[in-house]
Amino acid sequence: MKKKRISGMQNIVIILAAIALFAVFTLINPGFATRDNLLVMTKSLVPYAILALGVTFVIATGGIDLSIGTVCIGSAVLAGALCKTGVAIDEGTLWLTIPVILVVGLLFGLLNGFLVAKCKIAPFIATLGSMLVSRGLTAVIAQVARDGATTAVKYPTTGWFQKIFTNLNGFPIGLVWVLGLTILCAVVMYKTKVGRYILAIGSNEEAARLSGINVDKYKIIAYAIGGTFAGLAALFYTAANPSLTLAAGNGMELDAIAGVYIGGTSTTGGAASILGTILGSMILVIIRQGLNLAMASSTSIVINATNITYAVTGVIVVGAVLLDVLKKKSAAKVKVPPTAKK
Amino acid sequence: MGETILNMQGIQKYFSGVHALKGVNFDLKAGEVHALMGENGAGKSTLIKVLCGIYKKDGGSIEYFGKPVEFAHIAESQNAGISVIHQELNMMNDLTVAQNIFIGREAMSGGLINDGEMERQSQQLFDHLGVKIDPSVKLGSLTVGKQQMVEIAKAISRDCKLLVLDEPTAALTQPEVEELFKIMNELRDKGIGMIYISHRMDEINRISDRVTVMRDGEYVGTVNTAEVTKDDIVKMMVGRVIMGEQKAASTCPPDADVILEVKNLRAGKEVKNVSFRLRRGEILGFAGLMGAGRTEVARALYGADARQGGEIFLNGKKVHIHTPEQAVRNGICYLSEDRKRYGLMLDKSVTENSVIACVDDFITAGLINDNRMKAESQKFNDMLRTKTPSMEQLLKNLSGGNQQKVIIARWLMRNADIFIFDEPTRGIDVGAKSEIYALMDELVKQGKSIIMISSELPEVLRMSDRVVVMCEGRVTGELDISEATQENIMQLATMREEN
Repeated sequence: MKKKRISGMQNIVIILAAIALFAVFTLINPGFATRDNLLVMTKSLVPYAILALGVTFVIATGGIDLSIGTVCIGSAVLAGALCKTGVAIDEGTLWLTIPVILVVGLLFGLLNGFLVAKCKIAPFIATLGSMLVSRGLTAVIAQVARDGATTAVKYPTTGWFQKIFTNLNGFPIGLVWVLGLTILCAVVMYKTKVGRYILAIGSNEEAARLSGINVDKYKIIAYAIGGTFAGLAALFYTAANPSLTLAAGNGMELDAIAGVYIGGTSTTGGAASILGTILGSMILVIIRQGLNLAMASSTSIVINATNITYAVTGVIVVGAVLLDVLKKKSAAKVKVPPTAKK
Repeated sequence: MGETILNMQGIQKYFSGVHALKGVNFDLKAGEVHALMGENGAGKSTLIKVLCGIYKKDGGSIEYFGKPVEFAHIAESQNAGISVIHQELNMMNDLTVAQNIFIGREAMSGGLINDGEMERQSQQLFDHLGVKIDPSVKLGSLTVGKQQMVEIAKAISRDCKLLVLDEPTAALTQPEVEELFKIMNELRDKGIGMIYISHRMDEINRISDRVTVMRDGEYVGTVNTAEVTKDDIVKMMVGRVIMGEQKAASTCPPDADVILEVKNLRAGKEVKNVSFRLRRGEILGFAGLMGAGRTEVARALYGADARQGGEIFLNGKKVHIHTPEQAVRNGICYLSEDRKRYGLMLDKSVTENSVIACVDDFITAGLINDNRMKAESQKFNDMLRTKTPSMEQLLKNLSGGNQQKVIIARWLMRNADIFIFDEPTRGIDVGAKSEIYALMDELVKQGKSIIMISSELPEVLRMSDRVVVMCEGRVTGELDISEATQENIMQLATMREEN
């Protein structure tokens, strides 16, 4: 398959940046490059990367989905509560949580798509709404299902669930899933009608509509992919972090979306880089864990790794998008006038 | 005519190695209308951008009121009294007309913006120009023609000494053009120098004093308009003569099948009980003034806008078309007047723009075959002689005429039967225009049918087999091409409802 124009250069920049960051963090704290730490990072990468893959489709239409974080954790909490996981560790009904989680994710995705495509609500507003609804409603239903118990929903900590989604006898199996899903997403984005139409819509929605494309349908599909991937991400997150509280989902979407932008997907839609999304998510994990280790000895409660990570992430996202803007600007400047083509 | 206010000599400009301006000369006197002509890509816009400081020149000299100048920024040239009215409107639709006119130099009182004062001044301006526009309405609620008037008023409201009009009439109806010319004549009397860029030969003859022609970045020459004919100018531009005669008789046999029949179409306020028939192999011209509802008819027929009533018959069978998707499936396609907004994906390649309506044809086992897509798009664009370095070229880098060809390729690949061309040659230069005309003739020869909406009467008369004339949302007449003239079309186009 031919390399997509937009991603080539930017991917190389991200890979170089990742290597540089890796080297710097290793110099600061030799513990960074250890096997244990790499395992921690892959564990942390998997759910974010999957969230980011899904939301790439939404962003490619020119939209945004703010609800993926709360839908992700919310669906897992809800499924756990409904299937009584955790009251007594119940291997018997654990399998049931998988379809429940995926269906909840899909339903929220369809809801978002419906609000955006059919009700013509701005994506930011529509998904802000479903973010709040998913956060509140799943909490209420989970509480009711668990007869008012307020403790965290506890999934089993070891067993087949972990073997499939996070740790296969010491091997980080989640990475294989990410690899598979990345290939799947790349095929869908670049080689199928769904991806082609999503990119067309992001490029010029009216032109797409007047070309006979059912714009509403493909927008809904994009949001449905985003929602379903939020559910998928929940499986991996839950397997790695079996003790769940709803608050874990707050802000997750922003990290995922940041990864997409760092990866070079256009903020206005129309151009998307699946590989870039994965690389962007990796950069964020390296920074998060790197700062964690580098600042592990800090005793200040204010200047800690979490807060610095926020700031650094912010700078990188803005920087990445700025880079993109500058690149477009300089491309526009050297634009060959039509005379040259005759 | 007065003193020379602008003298550009031997202007050179390079873009990353491409020689875009090769020693161009241009001068302008006070109170003169100097037309600047050339095909798209000849370098007219580049020359203007060098003049007003958007581009930096790489050679040559510019004298403005006798002093050598080099504006570093567009604001500098504006302050020096140079105003440019761009081909594409650059205004803010959500602000009012008055706010748009006074943007950047708002009337203030007590530290706050005084909208009332700005509206009063705008009103004065419009009264002076004899234009009927309410300065307190949002700009976006005006028609394109009216918006252009606002832009012209805005330029005039600045104390400008040199006015550049870049295709100002492209979107104007005949009465609006007359209005513009009246205004231009007034400005001429005031001693304002005007650079006039247009592709319409008739206008050049009427309004300009001198014509400078450019071709491929080169200076071809400057002539006095009174001393040359249209053909002379066109020859200078393209090195060949272009025919622009009216079609003598319909080329569509009168007994050809009626392929499309529209009955009592109603949509919004703009389309009132419109009925018409289209025959196989026919070009049906839609003439009328701006705002007559022609585009709205097309969009309602195509399912792009909702309609309140009406029936559509294809080959005698009633069809349900409520979305563009359904229209396309029924073999109807629409080529919008506003290509950039409604037609093109500017950041995508020629291939992607060409195939977007028929992606289905290139799918095997669920996957898109990009190579076949590219080959097929190459085939069609070669056939249409789209000028592009490659199929990967982004659409934004093509000229208007070639962009239009890519959209035609899109619908040919989709194998559409009925082509709705809305202002097919708007913003397209003379050479490419005749190619588009030839393509349209070829389409009907192959049994396709065309609905052509055009505000240029010579275009309507040259292309159509039959002409439907609209006024204020109604069909006011239908003429066979053999009996149609500019006069009787205009009469029908202004036949307003009595009451």
